[in-house]
Amino acid sequence: MLMHHIANASLTDKVMSSGDSNPAATPTPGVDTQGDGRWMSLHNHFVSNSKDKEPDVLFVGDSLVQLLHQFEVWRDLFSPLHALNFGVGGDATQHVLWRLSNGELAHISPKVVVLWVGTHNHGHTAEQICGGIMAIVQLIKDKLPKAYTLVLGVLPRGKMPNPLRERNAEVNKLVQEAVSSLPHASLLNVDPGFVHSDGSISHQDLYDYLHLTPQGYQAVCRPLHVHLKGLLEKQAEN
Amino acid sequence: MSGDEMNPAAVAQAVEDIQGDDRWMSQIWRELFSPLHALNFGIGEDTTCNVLWRLQNGELDNIGPKVTVVWVGTNNHEHSAEQVAGGILAIAQLLTSRLPKTKVVVLGLLARGEWPNPLREKNVAVNGFLRTWLPRLGQTQFLDVGAGFVHSDGTISTRDMFDFLHLTAAGYRAIAKPLIDLLLQILEETPEEKRASLV
Repeated sequence: MLMHHIANASLTDKVMSSGDSNPAATPTPGVDTQGDGRWMSLHNHFVSNSKDKEPDVLFVGDSLVQLLHQFEVWRDLFSPLHALNFGVGGDATQHVLWRLSNGELAHISPKVVVLWVGTHNHGHTAEQICGGIMAIVQLIKDKLPKAYTLVLGVLPRGKMPNPLRERNAEVNKLVQEAVSSLPHASLLNVDPGFVHSDGSISHQDLYDYLHLTPQGYQAVCRPLHVHLKGLLEKQAEN
Repeated sequence: MSGDEMNPAAVAQAVEDIQGDDRWMSQIWRELFSPLHALNFGIGEDTTCNVLWRLQNGELDNIGPKVTVVWVGTNNHEHSAEQVAGGILAIAQLLTSRLPKTKVVVLGLLARGEWPNPLREKNVAVNGFLRTWLPRLGQTQFLDVGAGFVHSDGTISTRDMFDFLHLTAAGYRAIAKPLIDLLLQILEETPEEKRASLV
C-alpha cells in the first residue's frame, strides 16, 4: 500500500495504483521460457553475492544497468564508490519489484539505490509504469529506511520518433511529479540529448537504438557520477 | 539432413522489431578484429531464419569477404537440434553460393545456463550434426570455441558469461584466440590481393 501525501489528488489516482490492479506494480518473477533458468540463477547469484559485500551504492534495473557493469566506465567511476550491480536484461518494473522483495536487499545497507527500469514494460501504460517505479521506491524505503533512491529517467529509443519514445517521456514526467514531494527519492534525467534535431538517434550513442555504446555510457555516466558523489557526501553528513 | 522446405530453421524470416546487438564489446572488436578489416552483422536474439533473411535481403550485395564467420543457433527455441543444424547449413550454403571466393567458418554453439540443462544438451547436439555435415560442403569448416567454459562441477561462471549466456570481455578474449589463429591461417592461404591490404 502506498501512503504518500501528494498535493495533486488526481495524480494520486493515476500514479498510486494498487498492486492488484497494476501489473507493473505487482511483484512478478521472470519466467524461464527458454529452458536454462538463467533469470532465477541471476537472482540467486545476486542474493548470495550480497552476503559478504558492503556496498554504498546499489544499481538495480534492466539491461541498461546490467550492461553498464561490462564496460570500463563501471571500473572507472562506480567501483570506487563501492557499488553493486543487480541489473537483469529484459526486466520490467514488476520483475525488479519481485527481486527486491525476495532477498536482494536482505543483506545490504547501501546509502544510495540507483534505479533504472521501465523501458521493457511492454504493454503497460505510462501511468502503470510510473506506478511500478513508485512501488519500487516505496519498497526500498520500507526495507532500507536510511537509503536514498535515485531514479534515472528512461531514455528515448528507436531510430526515429515512435510511440515508445512518447511513453518513456510521459513516464519520466509522471515520476518526476510523484517524487517531487519525497525527501528520500528524486528523478535524474540522464539523457544528454540523444535525439537530434531531425528526430533521429545515432547508432554511435545507442548501437541498436536501445542500448548504449561506450560513448553513450560516458555521456550518461559522467553527470550521474557527479550527482552520486554529491548524494553520498550528503548522506555521510546526516 | 532435412530438406530445406521441411526445416523451419532454414526458412528465411525477418524480425519484426530490432532487439539487441552483440557489437557492444567494441573494445574487444577494435583491438582484435578491426585490424583484420572485419565487418560485424550480428543482431542479438537472431535465429537462423532471421540471419538467412538478412543475407538474402541485401547484406551480401556489396561485399566480397575472404572469410565469413557464422555464429548463430542458440536462440532457435522453436526448433530441434537437427533443424537448427540444418538452418546453419543452409546459411553456409547460401554464403558459398553468393560469395564463391569466401571461406566459411562456423563457430560451435556455446554452453549456456548456470547449471546443466536441456539447452546445453541441445547445443552439443547441434555441434555434433555440424561436425559431420559441414566438411561435406566445400570451403566450410567448423570451429569449437567452447572449451573451458563449463567447470568440473558443471557450472558456468559469471566471469565468463555475465548472464550465463552472453560473454564478458574475459569470455570474448578466450574465444578470440583460437578464432583469430584460424582466421590468420586462412588469410595467409588466400592469394595476393590480401597482401596489398597489409600495408
